[in-house]
Amino acid sequence: MELAEPFDMSQPAISKHLGVLERAGLIVRRVEGTKRPCRLAKEGVEVIDQWLAMLRKALASNYDRLDTVLADMKPQKSRRKR
Amino acid sequence: MSKLTLKTEGDRYVVVTRRFAAPPEAVYRAHTDPKLVQKWMLGPEGWTMPVCICEAKPKGKIRYEWANGKGGGFYLTGEFIELEPPRRIVHVERMHLPAVTPDNQVETTFAPDGTGTMMTMRMTLPNLETRTRMLSSGMEQGMEASYARLERAI
Repeated sequence: MELAEPFDMSQPAISKHLGVLERAGLIVRRVEGTKRPCRLAKEGVEVIDQWLAMLRKALASNYDRLDTVLADMKPQKSRRKR
Repeated sequence: MSKLTLKTEGDRYVVVTRRFAAPPEAVYRAHTDPKLVQKWMLGPEGWTMPVCICEAKPKGKIRYEWANGKGGGFYLTGEFIELEPPRRIVHVERMHLPAVTPDNQVETTFAPDGTGTMMTMRMTLPNLETRTRMLSSGMEQGMEASYARLERAI
């Protein structure tokens, strides 16, 4: 209820958004009577950051190598044109 | 400054952009010719791709096998869905770690940018369980030193 207050959204709509965050591993919810208190799942957020850092590092290496591959392709291409 | 941008789009996608100093035809070919893919799609330093199958046609098979020369390795399988040379590739891929990760559909576009190419790659952000598995798998081996360097660089 409290989480829904600042938003121009219905309670079920808020619940739906929270469900998405929970399934993504970004928040943790527990049951307390009729309440569903939430907290941020720190480990979920950290795993995203780590995963994105791993992806960035791998892609940066890949594309730096691709620059070299592309530079080497140019002479081949001009030979074909001749 | 890095030429690479990497952003999340909502909680479901990752969008990567990178400019190359070669026309879209060349960048497209480097993504679809197995002999060229094998030269650059290697991830962190020290890894090689002993097996590279890349059948660039609709429903064509993809299989990339990586090895770190120390007995570590994993592989990726996938299929091409749409190919529009030299502008766009849509394919699906999954990692075998060896347990298989959920399908990741990837759209890669190559737009002319002056005399070069602006590449945009849009992929699915894996769920928490898959991310955790990818991080704790062989993909991370040998990368910790790189992370430390990266963190210092940031």
